[in-house]
Amino acid sequence: MADMWVTMGPQHPFSHGLWTLKVRVDGEVVKDAIPVIGYLHRGWEKECENRTYPLIIPMADRLCYSASMTWSHVYCKVVEEAMGIELSDRAKYLRVVADEICRLQSHLMWLAAMGTDLGNLTVFLWALREREFFLDLNVKLCGQRLTTNYPRLGGVRNDMPYFFERDCMRAVNRFEKVLWEIIGLTDESSIFLSRMRDVGVISRKDAANYGLTGPTMRGCGVDFDVRRDDPYCNYDLLDWEVPVCKEGDAYARYKVRIEEMFQSCEIIRQAMAKLDSIPKTDPIRVKAPRNVPAGTHFARVEDPRGESLMYLVSDGTDRPYRLKVRSPIFVNVSASKHLVQGVRIADIPAIMGTIDMCLGETDR
Amino acid sequence: MPLKYLDKFPKKNNARTLWVLKPMWVTLKKMFKTTFHRPVTIMYPYEKEWVPDNYRGRPGLRFDKCIGCGICKKMCPTTCITMVDSDDNGRTVQRPQVNLGRCMMCGYCAEYCPVNAMIVTPDYELAAYTREELIYGPRKLAWPNSTEMMEVHMEGHLLSDLKKGKNEKISLHCVDVIGLIDGKCIGCTRCVKVCPTEAIEMHTYGEDEKGKPKKFPLFDRQKCVCCERCMDVCPKDAIELKEVL
Repeated sequence: MADMWVTMGPQHPFSHGLWTLKVRVDGEVVKDAIPVIGYLHRGWEKECENRTYPLIIPMADRLCYSASMTWSHVYCKVVEEAMGIELSDRAKYLRVVADEICRLQSHLMWLAAMGTDLGNLTVFLWALREREFFLDLNVKLCGQRLTTNYPRLGGVRNDMPYFFERDCMRAVNRFEKVLWEIIGLTDESSIFLSRMRDVGVISRKDAANYGLTGPTMRGCGVDFDVRRDDPYCNYDLLDWEVPVCKEGDAYARYKVRIEEMFQSCEIIRQAMAKLDSIPKTDPIRVKAPRNVPAGTHFARVEDPRGESLMYLVSDGTDRPYRLKVRSPIFVNVSASKHLVQGVRIADIPAIMGTIDMCLGETDR
Repeated sequence: MPLKYLDKFPKKNNARTLWVLKPMWVTLKKMFKTTFHRPVTIMYPYEKEWVPDNYRGRPGLRFDKCIGCGICKKMCPTTCITMVDSDDNGRTVQRPQVNLGRCMMCGYCAEYCPVNAMIVTPDYELAAYTREELIYGPRKLAWPNSTEMMEVHMEGHLLSDLKKGKNEKISLHCVDVIGLIDGKCIGCTRCVKVCPTEAIEMHTYGEDEKGKPKKFPLFDRQKCVCCERCMDVCPKDAIELKEVL
């Protein structure tokens, strides 16, 4: 039978966001795939060159709707490095808490989307219900549900509001119990397992060659996490583990993300304990200079999707000369040809769902 | 720190999973629970979710507090704020007008406002039939019953203070120092006219060679809000803002 090109997306429900996966199929077996991105290109990097440094923080939130905190964090981090500002402990732990809340709600969004990709609407509803508790925490901490706009150059926007620690601990403790219920829906179901196991296998070597990062990379045995191996914000002072699975299939990536949620809960708990021991008078924000000295800098943090990196070229004025974004999904999606090689068409949503596409940061 | 989930689950394989009995049991349990439990959803248009006062909805303006300095216009990332002439008991004053069609609700206008006249409001239902309705003038921006939590305070420390060992939290609004660059001022008095807080006064220092009085502006640091409007109108770029860090 002759090969046929099938265009999946940008309206196909499997593509979370606007992107197209062109697949060459022989019957039902996928032979080749070409990801087509660029539907959401907004000229983000060029727009940054016309704005002063503090004005880019809320724009960095819009890079990815569910990982807004980490994106504004990496932006603030690179500018702080260029300015030579060292944060205080309290600001660092506040950023850690906000980062991990962001990671939890982003992974829950992924779990919800994963459920609908496999036709399991119950997972979708349950995961989104749990996500609301973390969005409420975001509202209490920084005023908005998704676009947090929380970090500032030289610290964070505000200190914790009253009773935030109590609310945060309640939400985290509750979530750890409820996540086991969601796991009961997925891991205990033979239908779910048969859809996820042994599809989209990528070897450790290929993952390194494609430049995969994040849970996609840790799902195939590469033990690397920016939080642990290039520590920032006192992550090295907290006691937590990096989950690694060796199989490299879609189920392994699923397992890594679920374990990351448990570890995020642990990090929040420890960061809150550390915040308790730091006096409230500790500086949370220092005044940042308006101009950044000329030079090139880069900073990276661990995004929920992988390693997000920003490269800043400053020329001594109050606007960046160039701000380059290294998006994890832009790199991860380039491996889609390798991932879907030889699988059936029905498996493509399960495989691409575990990559956790986000097009805002990919197209920028 | 042990792994909570990975230590437990890789041991299970397909053969040991009891088909879909466990998910069905979990779902049934939840069904019984939610039947007798109060619902987690709300009937949205009729009842709304409670939001705290610091919720960043549309910006609000306290007309009487505003001094019309234009910092909100300068700090708006989407340039949705314009300063318009509006009537204040017969006097024409400059007040911000927000185009909510462009507003991204970042709360910068409230944060950078030196007198806390701009606030964040918990108002997020902003749908309108026309684009003109989305342009909120200074009077329409008002929010009744504004509380203290709706103000966004920009408080922090100065690095120079911290180096000296002084741990004092200050407002980061008006710490910069405005000053005159020697030999550039021509005494045109434009800066006096635009200063929103009347922090600039012209003083006469002697006479020039033609016999006319020489005028120079004097800046009152107590009143200055560092809005840089005098810098913008100065035809000779004679005014500079020295940053205090």
